[in-house]
Amino acid sequence: MMGLERALIELLLRFVTHDALNAFLRSPQHTASLVGCLIAICGALLGTFLLLRGLSLTSDAISHTVLLGIVLAFMLMTGAGLEGDTSSPWLIVGAAAAGVGTVVLTETLHRSGLVRQDAALGLAFPLLFAIAVILVSRFVDDVHLDDDAVLVGEIGLAWANTNSHCFEHCESLRITPEHPAAQQMRQCVNCRELTISPRDERAEFREVCGNCGVYTPAQAWSAGLLDEAPTLVFFPKSITVMLVLTALTVGFVAVFYKELKLTTFDAALAKSLGFRPAALTYALMILVSLVAVGAFDAVGSILVIAFFIIPPAAAYLLTDRLSGMLLLSPVIGGAGAFFGYDLARGWLFGMLPVAEGIAALNAIFGLQLREAWDSSISASVVLTMFVLFVLVWILSPRYGLVVSAVRRANSRRRFDDQVVLAHIHNHQGTPSHAIELRAATLHQHFRWTPQKMNRVLMRLRALGFVSQEAGSAILTQRGDAHVHAFRKQLLVAHNIPDIDPTQP
Amino acid sequence: MPEPAELALVIDDLTVAYDQKPAIWDIDLEVPQGALMAIVGPNGAGKSTLIKAALNLIPRAAGSVLFHGKPYEAARHLVGYVPQRGSVDWDFPTSVLDVVTMGLYGKLGWLRRPGRRERAQALAALEQVGLLDYAGRQISQLSGGQQQRTFLARALVQDAQIYFMDEPFAAVDATTEAAIVNILRELNKRGRTVLVVHHDLQTVPEYFDWLTLLNVEVVASGPTCQVFTLDNLQKTYGGRVTSLHGGQVLAAGG
Repeated sequence: MMGLERALIELLLRFVTHDALNAFLRSPQHTASLVGCLIAICGALLGTFLLLRGLSLTSDAISHTVLLGIVLAFMLMTGAGLEGDTSSPWLIVGAAAAGVGTVVLTETLHRSGLVRQDAALGLAFPLLFAIAVILVSRFVDDVHLDDDAVLVGEIGLAWANTNSHCFEHCESLRITPEHPAAQQMRQCVNCRELTISPRDERAEFREVCGNCGVYTPAQAWSAGLLDEAPTLVFFPKSITVMLVLTALTVGFVAVFYKELKLTTFDAALAKSLGFRPAALTYALMILVSLVAVGAFDAVGSILVIAFFIIPPAAAYLLTDRLSGMLLLSPVIGGAGAFFGYDLARGWLFGMLPVAEGIAALNAIFGLQLREAWDSSISASVVLTMFVLFVLVWILSPRYGLVVSAVRRANSRRRFDDQVVLAHIHNHQGTPSHAIELRAATLHQHFRWTPQKMNRVLMRLRALGFVSQEAGSAILTQRGDAHVHAFRKQLLVAHNIPDIDPTQP
Repeated sequence: MPEPAELALVIDDLTVAYDQKPAIWDIDLEVPQGALMAIVGPNGAGKSTLIKAALNLIPRAAGSVLFHGKPYEAARHLVGYVPQRGSVDWDFPTSVLDVVTMGLYGKLGWLRRPGRRERAQALAALEQVGLLDYAGRQISQLSGGQQQRTFLARALVQDAQIYFMDEPFAAVDATTEAAIVNILRELNKRGRTVLVVHHDLQTVPEYFDWLTLLNVEVVASGPTCQVFTLDNLQKTYGGRVTSLHGGQVLAAGG
């Protein structure tokens, strides 16, 4: 991991100075937005397949049960005398195992035939999460796995947890008592035993070195022990972790695109063609677990599911192609993560200040709401994603509520037209002609209001399908052709032989 | 029908059980190459189970299945499968052409992507089933019959020797039924073996030259003209078949 980070920084340093890079990374906004976007990209890509497989809630389950993997790996590591660190590869292995374990346990329960799929998930994941919670409280005291972190994460602090990399003047410094910078101090050796102050005449002293030891370049520089500044870059650990996960996820989806599509659409065919749908499912679940762990520090375990589900759900309404979903959903997720940070700091989509909105509410309704706005970043990201989803849901050009309503109204109108046209067609030229087709009473035959009848007739006249003759509605030639066309279409669609006597 | 030289499918002592209750029981079946065979039986007779077990999609309790003398793993490229239409999600975001191309994924193997040649093959198959104009359609916009024909086209591009079709005639319009029958005959003419799970007793003698009557066990199997008798049907359906004259069959609950 360190080597990778170093290579990445070296690459970046070709384009920017290390000061600029540090300044960029030390901004909480930059790091949080970057990490959030990367989580959103991973989540959106994997979530697309979860959504299409009907496994949306599995991501929620896994984001909880990875805690068990993390805790178990943590306990094993401390047992083996390794330092516990939340970005260690062993935790990742543990989390992946926990993710797979969740799926296996769910499948086992489901396959017993006694528990339904959703119930199996509901049984498996609280069990594993409960075990994790007990283990945390019993055996892991001094880790920062506190409630808040587990619930909503600390993406705003991601910038602070860094690895430092040194590129120039990198000698570590050893201060010995002989070193000119060594600070010699007198220390009372018997003050405590005799409970006397160093000023007491019985006090005995020895010389000690107050700042002896080995200093990393960063420590030495900040302690003012170096003349020349080392070139240091502080790189947030979570950026590295998420970059690696994003590369893995994008690579997995790109390489196995065809196989993922096939197994998601028709697992039976995939199996009969010699692919391994089960292996792919587990690979997918392992990646979901890894992303859940990577996202754990940043957004906690509750909100991760939003990163997996909201972007694909929105993309699903915008496109009819899997490839389209895989391109659109990371964009939606990334936008949500980016603007979500703004929202947490009080700007809706970077344009509208939330404080002014609250001020307006206060002014209008006489409320006493605090106008300063500073809220949870991860919750704001989720909220922003949801706003994006709602916009798509209403406005999507294919399946949006608006378009659907217009389409429904159009087809209702077309159907009304056809009802009237067919009625005229059936009675035109028959003895009942005068009674059935009199324009003034036509509405009674359909049990419609006169207003509705008028609207329909006006439309039909405008279309040139109907004209009026001696107070009766009759079909024009165009109207007649139209009736024949839609009758034929209707009959073919329903396999009904045409009995229309007027047909040649 | 003359005695064929090779058997396309040999099923030996095949048993599949769900919770220790046998779904199909000790099935012995020999299907000659080039047969156009219907598998017929009442609901719960294990017709779909038979196909799925033959294709290793569900675990077998006992028995073996050979395709042209080879076990399934070695004969995968010889076998084409048309699952029931309801077995997939038709709201999946993809096009008709794409679904048909999936039939070629087996030949492509892992990682290789379909190219221009695969596209041409898929379009040819769509033309065969009369859906060429629908190639770019989103699959959710298809009618049931069109969905079934899409599945059929997907099986056709596999260019298999033995086809297994699970109720292709279920709830389809007349156009689709005619299209399917045409394709079955076309496959038959080219010497392919086709096994079809079928529900409509009346059309059996017209569509199929070989017949297996199944009710957990094989009741009878052979050329339709020999097997399709009132006696056999009554054994299969438990006496609910009341008459058989001039090819007219009245089966209750068939």
